[in-house]
Amino acid sequence: MSQPLLSIKGATKHFGAVRAIDGIDLDIHENEFFALLGASGSGKTTLLRMLAGFEVPDAGQIILDGEDVSRIPPNHRPVNLMFQSYALFPHMSVFQNIAYGLEMEKLPKAQIKSRVDEILDVIQLGDLARRKPDQLSGGQRQRVALARALVKRPRLLLLDEPLGALDKKLRGEMQLELKRIQHEFGITFIIVTHDQEEALVMADRVAILKDGKLLQSGTPREIYEHPGSRFAADFIGVMNFFPVREKAGKLIADDGSVITAGTPLSAGEKGVAAVRPERLSLSLSRTAKAENSTTGTVVATAYHGLDLQVHLKTPAAPDPILIRLTADVAEARPVATGDEITVYWATRDTRAFPL
Amino acid sequence: MRGTANPKLMLMILSAVFAFLYIPISVLFALSFNEGGLPTVWTGFSVKWYGELFRNGDIMGAALNTLIVAIISTILATILGTLLAVGVEIRRRKGRFLETIIFAPMIIPDIVLAIALLSFFSLLNFTMGLHTIIVSHVVFNLAFVCSVVRARLKTFDWSIVEASTDLGAPMITTLWRVILPVMLPAVIAGALLAFTLSLDEFIIAFFTAGAGRDSITLPMQIFAMIRFGVTPEINALAAIVMTVSVIILALSQRLNRGGLPGQ
Repeated sequence: MSQPLLSIKGATKHFGAVRAIDGIDLDIHENEFFALLGASGSGKTTLLRMLAGFEVPDAGQIILDGEDVSRIPPNHRPVNLMFQSYALFPHMSVFQNIAYGLEMEKLPKAQIKSRVDEILDVIQLGDLARRKPDQLSGGQRQRVALARALVKRPRLLLLDEPLGALDKKLRGEMQLELKRIQHEFGITFIIVTHDQEEALVMADRVAILKDGKLLQSGTPREIYEHPGSRFAADFIGVMNFFPVREKAGKLIADDGSVITAGTPLSAGEKGVAAVRPERLSLSLSRTAKAENSTTGTVVATAYHGLDLQVHLKTPAAPDPILIRLTADVAEARPVATGDEITVYWATRDTRAFPL
Repeated sequence: MRGTANPKLMLMILSAVFAFLYIPISVLFALSFNEGGLPTVWTGFSVKWYGELFRNGDIMGAALNTLIVAIISTILATILGTLLAVGVEIRRRKGRFLETIIFAPMIIPDIVLAIALLSFFSLLNFTMGLHTIIVSHVVFNLAFVCSVVRARLKTFDWSIVEASTDLGAPMITTLWRVILPVMLPAVIAGALLAFTLSLDEFIIAFFTAGAGRDSITLPMQIFAMIRFGVTPEINALAAIVMTVSVIILALSQRLNRGGLPGQ
């Protein structure tokens, strides 16, 4: 592949005794929609602020377009940040807010006006250009904040939890909207989020951060299908875990049953066998192999429109496991609370992780 | 409310307190319009004492001095106090020591501050005059402006400062185009407060003024006149000073309470 747009090399940042960022290496390519995913305290926001220039790394480099920018102040970087709180200027109108960054570039007035008008069209807020931020709804403010950063046509647009303050329905719309805008402008987006669903839906690639370290990065599919650690498996999507112990090449569950997994544990090691809810089926199909099974009692069912979620209490796991049945399967074989059922799944859908 | 207090009794106490506070002032106001000029006999309504007042060269000269002191010290204290407030807020994470010492001039008794300033100016062999009064007024007004501005800064959204930097603005532009406009109501409120405080400040001006008439301020002039008894002119003067002060203070309060756009 060609030279990456952004290379983070061994970036490290301490706050007192705390290592907020601990030797992160990461390459991000032109036009990528990249998500930094992590819980609070994982260092994802610090890393983003480092890219914006608000934090200087104690060690390591941040290379943008082949140039080390780690010590260049924020106002001299071709990078813009959309703040989590939006940080709109309360005393300026929508138009003035968006024009501000262009005025700093000392562009001619006419050019500023045409570029602001153009972006107001993109975010469909042309009619509200004279309004002040406090006269806008949350969703409108969010779009103004996006426009204000985008209008500068940065090499890199950073978005700090951009959808965090919106309600669920609006968030879904804005996820698609952000993708559309990113595509239209051809600008590299790096988004910080704690919402794994958001990351999976929007990003081309995702990096999972934990305790300032990069745990895993890859496409959403790679991370979902092949989580590299128990944490990643748990953090991304829903996962059923069976506590197991390795014994003579086999994984033995709490109830003594044997589970076979696509990845091994070392001899005698304690761990978990993990399988996604949608990989569990109610019957043995003739075509697909299903080496594993467990039997239990249905403790609850929840209808979700497209699928039926069944909670099954089984002796193989301490907590009820979750099964996701598609609507047609659930119709063909009704499941009710109290039923005793057996579920089956394949070795290749099962991954084992050490504790 | 759960209290057993008698509402009638409460009202009476409240009225008594307000009467205690405002009757003397009302009397002063009334007497300033007393034709005869004697504090004991009401001889009829007249504004002639106000006329006398404006014809009195000593008083007018002192009033001019007071305005000069108040305006210049307010401008200086407002600029310095605002910058100080912003600076202290930015450095707040590095300890609270600064916060504490800034407000010292507000807490130290005026007489102590007056003596301190006098000794300081003498030590430096300063020639005393209006300029020393101005500097002295800046000293305590700085603390007041700073405290008013800081109160507003507590609810200030600092992310807009970072946003401004991120959009390419150098710090000075950010200060001028983002921080100041958002802070403006508090800055004006602080300035108005400083102006009223300076307008009727006596002790410090008295200690730091020079010899002769050149640096006599209005409160000093009143003090000088009052040694020969309260004249109706002084009543008129006091009534004017108080009206101006109350109007400015009310304005300052309003500004400081009124929310920001977007807040």
